Amino acid sequence: MDRRAFLSALGTGWLVQTAGEHPPRIAGQVVGASHAAGHLLRGGAPVVSSAVVRAVVQEKADVVIVGGGVSGLSAAWRLAPAGLDVAVLELEPRPGGTSTWGEEGAVPHPWGAHYLAAPNVEARAALRLLQEMGAVTGWDAAGRPVFDPRRLCHAPQERLFYDGEWHQGLVPTDALSIAERDEMARFLDIEEALTVRRGADGRPAFQIPLDMSSRDPDLLALDRLSMEAWLDREGFRTPFLRWYVRYAMLDDFGGAPEDVSAWAGLHYFAARKLRTPELEGSHFLVWPEGNGRLVKALIERARPRIMLGSLAMAVHDLPQGGVAVDYLDVARHEVRRIEARAAVLATPAFVTRRLFPAAAPMLPVRTSSPWLVANLHVEDRFEPNLPWDSILYEAEGLGYVDAAHQLTDLAATTVPASALRAPRRQTVLTYYRAFGGADTTAARSMLLGSAWEGLADGVLRDLAPAHPHLREVLGRMDLMLWGHAMPRPRPGFLGERPFETTCALGPRIAWAHVDQPGMALFEEAQARGVRAAELLAGDMGVVLGESWL
Amino acid sequence: MSASEASVPPPNEAPEVPEAPGQDAVAGPPRRAARAALLASVFVIATSGLIYELITGTLASYVLGDSVAQFSFVIGLYLFAMGIGSYLSQYLESKLLERFVEIELGVALVGGLSAPLLFKVYTASGAFRVLLYGLVLLIGMLVGLEIPLLIRLLKFSLDLKQLVARVLTLDYIGALVASLLFPSLLLPRLGIHQTGLFFGLLNAFVALGSTFLFPITRADRFRLRALCALTVLVLGAAFAMVTQFVERAEAIYFGAPVVHSAQSPYQRMVLTQSPRTTRLFLNGNLQFSSDDEYRYHEVLVHPAVAALGRDPRRVLILGGGDGLAARELLRYPSVEQVTLVDLDAVVTDAFRTLPIATRLNQGALTDRRVTVRNEDAYKFLEGCTESFDLAIVDFPDPGNYAVGKLYTDAFYQLLRERLGVRGVVVVQATSPQYARESFWTIVTTMEAAGFMTAPLHVYVPSFGEWGFVLAGGEGLAAPGGLRIEASTLRYLDSAGLPELFRFPRDIGRVAAPINRLNDQKLVAIYTREWSVWTR
Ligand SMILES: Cc1cc2nc3c(=O)[nH]c(=O)nc-3n(C[C@H](O)[C@H](O)[C@H](O)COP(=O)(O)OP(=O)(O)OC[C@H]3O[C@@H](n4cnc5c(N)ncnc54)[C@H](O)[C@@H]3O)c2cc1C
Repeated sequence: MDRRAFLSALGTGWLVQTAGEHPPRIAGQVVGASHAAGHLLRGGAPVVSSAVVRAVVQEKADVVIVGGGVSGLSAAWRLAPAGLDVAVLELEPRPGGTSTWGEEGAVPHPWGAHYLAAPNVEARAALRLLQEMGAVTGWDAAGRPVFDPRRLCHAPQERLFYDGEWHQGLVPTDALSIAERDEMARFLDIEEALTVRRGADGRPAFQIPLDMSSRDPDLLALDRLSMEAWLDREGFRTPFLRWYVRYAMLDDFGGAPEDVSAWAGLHYFAARKLRTPELEGSHFLVWPEGNGRLVKALIERARPRIMLGSLAMAVHDLPQGGVAVDYLDVARHEVRRIEARAAVLATPAFVTRRLFPAAAPMLPVRTSSPWLVANLHVEDRFEPNLPWDSILYEAEGLGYVDAAHQLTDLAATTVPASALRAPRRQTVLTYYRAFGGADTTAARSMLLGSAWEGLADGVLRDLAPAHPHLREVLGRMDLMLWGHAMPRPRPGFLGERPFETTCALGPRIAWAHVDQPGMALFEEAQARGVRAAELLAGDMGVVLGESWL
Repeated sequence: MSASEASVPPPNEAPEVPEAPGQDAVAGPPRRAARAALLASVFVIATSGLIYELITGTLASYVLGDSVAQFSFVIGLYLFAMGIGSYLSQYLESKLLERFVEIELGVALVGGLSAPLLFKVYTASGAFRVLLYGLVLLIGMLVGLEIPLLIRLLKFSLDLKQLVARVLTLDYIGALVASLLFPSLLLPRLGIHQTGLFFGLLNAFVALGSTFLFPITRADRFRLRALCALTVLVLGAAFAMVTQFVERAEAIYFGAPVVHSAQSPYQRMVLTQSPRTTRLFLNGNLQFSSDDEYRYHEVLVHPAVAALGRDPRRVLILGGGDGLAARELLRYPSVEQVTLVDLDAVVTDAFRTLPIATRLNQGALTDRRVTVRNEDAYKFLEGCTESFDLAIVDFPDPGNYAVGKLYTDAFYQLLRERLGVRGVVVVQATSPQYARESFWTIVTTMEAAGFMTAPLHVYVPSFGEWGFVLAGGEGLAAPGGLRIEASTLRYLDSAGLPELFRFPRDIGRVAAPINRLNDQKLVAIYTREWSVWTR
């Protein structure tokens, strides 16, 4: 132990012990995901009448996009080369939807989506965006993308708190029993086989974009099974493997294995096809602000008129041609109307149904998982070799990611010594928890009904086995409550006609959202947005050139 | 100069007024044992007084730098404070023995705890100077009170002539003992904290002993012994804790007195000085020893300049905040501009200002051709648009992931963009002997980034066999001769140059992976290889 450690042990250790009964207070608040405003939609007429209605034509645009998430902004990005006037109505005070991010504090940090796995060659729109951003630097002889190594998740990537200590990586091989190791190996073999497997129609068994997957009935039959049932059927019994799969399902779909389709579950493990030497270490693209960086890139390139704080309330197919969208300007509490030649509804299915009831029968019914995301502003990074992702075995939540991990600038998060404090390194840790049980309504009302104190306490308690003194290094903790975070691909989510959900809701109205495929992935959101834009361009007679899909 | 000069009682020592009535009851000539004890305590007080002075002086120069000024302030203030104490002693009129014990305990506590207190304040806040000078004043005053008090206590058993002679002799001898023991035995063996606490305990025991030997009333005796016990307890506890936490680390660890230490957000920097040798440690790892650093730095710089094949003008140094590589470079008159990028201002500031550091780097960091930038090297390269003839890369070994980033293909690619087609770079690449695969991993990684390489090595006694990778564009070759007069160097000459590039079989090339940001295989390889040697 060096002198500094000694002194801080002397100082803080003593202080902390004596202050044991009065743990330091942490600042923080619940931010974002405007439930109150969102729920106005359910209220209907009374709410509208309480606002000053100015449903006279207030604004015009060529295309109006409802929803400033990845789907909506990707539509704007696709339309940009045509030079149209594109307006985006977004309810929240910040764009990005479930891929939004925060900038306050020492490092920008995610509020939702936090990584993008290296997209398959087939996810052409995603690769195009990455290339525009410089994250893809070129293509190798086999036509595979080459990534800027700075963007791939740096080592060390992940660790697991298992049996009282941290283990490098997600699988603590040395600590597992032989049976657990054998099952893990067998599972990985199946994963490998499914990754290269093709269906009877010659298509890959599992693909991203989803709709390029095989239609082979044998494979689609997996959608009738839950992931849990599949594990039982295949004889996977060891606790570690069951936990591992459960973790993956919660992490990706917000659902527990008993409530997730086996097709979706296996898709998670077997849809990533890109294998190159540079990707061996990690195939995750990571930024401090998570996929917020991708949102920023879409906005920079598309430069749409983003109207934040605008809650769309109704979409009208105008008899004289074109569309009108009535929306509530939340700040001014005033209902306005915007008219356009066409509209993209880049909103979840349940919202879209309310906005444009005529299309309701065409829309799938999705269950969305509630999530809790916490950003922990840490005043003193506790470990020098902190990996990007830290996971606690059998915890309630999914662990946390370190926003500063990907910075190549050590100085950026450093606070030099001052008259009153020793030097320190700050960071922001983003903690995730999905409520994966079948009763999402109960979980949602519990979550939205809780106060900051109780939730923040729960986060600390969940991390306590690995970080009993986390409170002492915390400056603040902000919480985001996602009532409807992402669609959960429950058994049967592929429906009667797999991969054929509608995009066109009317002559000039298109739908784009991850609720379409029923799986919340960046590539899917982006492809849906691009498809909607290309469809409407065709309707409007605007020439966009070759498809980006 | 001796601290005790001021302990001569003020010339106008108060005339022999009878002691206060309470004192009379137990006064009268102290017994022989008590007299001997009082004289012994003169010795202890003198020794410990000087020790505290040396401790505060040393701490002041550790922390504030400029040791001549700091020592001179501390000594001056201390002597002055003793004067104040001596002057004030005239106002102590009754219960002199009790007062003596109390003051002794005060010295024990304040002096004994001064070093840990100062360190605590130093790392926690800016109040260091205030506390430092405050403590010096307080200790000085307390010690200044004691000697006159002792003289007055002894005046009944000795005549003035003998008394002054004995007290002053013991006082001066104590000072000599302290000043000899402190640098030679105490500081290196016990360390600064324990030395102080040890003498604090000694003072406390003197106080305790006095309560047995002196004629003191029962009630007072009980109170004083309780106070003594409390003091011993506090100091003893601190002594035990300090041993536990600090001692192992410092003097024992570094093997020589620490002359400068500082904590930055990134690392702890320690400079040690033994009679012949200056050493720099970062986070406890030896960075150089003045005995043989010239071997390292000559081999780092001069073969690279030779391989450049032309006069170097614009040079980039990454890392190397000690300015030793810069010193070698500045020997070339053609050098117009050196940009030195080192993350840690604590290191570069020390090597710009501390005399023992600037003696070594010959003031390289204050040379007008040198620009020091305290930035992350990775960040610097990402934002840099200049190009350089030569880059010298001297980072700490890749022992953790944060430093490991600076040994990846992505980093070398950035570096290559900053060198013209004819530019040359040299990278310190750990020991090919102790960490053979690590060394060749760095070579492989630089090649994967598009460099041609010419690895080289040299024996540096402090480190063992040490390796570097010289690299450049198409056509890079190991140089045939130096571009500098060998007589200006201490180790290299042109004849010995080819030998550096020859790798004997036990350190020769092995198959090694490319070190990428997303796997950082090098960190694992390096840790594994070194753990064999450091176990
Ligand atoms: C916690 C969490 C973690 C995730 N992690 C990842 C990840 O790591 N990688 C990954 O690829 N994906 C991740 N996802 C999935 C992520 O949802 C998708 O990648 C993608 O962001 C979905 O975009 P979208 O535009 O389709 O939908 P949304 O993000 O839902 O966008 C819909 C937008 O419409 C707005 N809106 C809704 N109603 C109205 C209205 N009436 N008027 C105006 N605006 C309205 C909303 O505010 C929102 O901005 C994560 C999701 C969550 C919640």
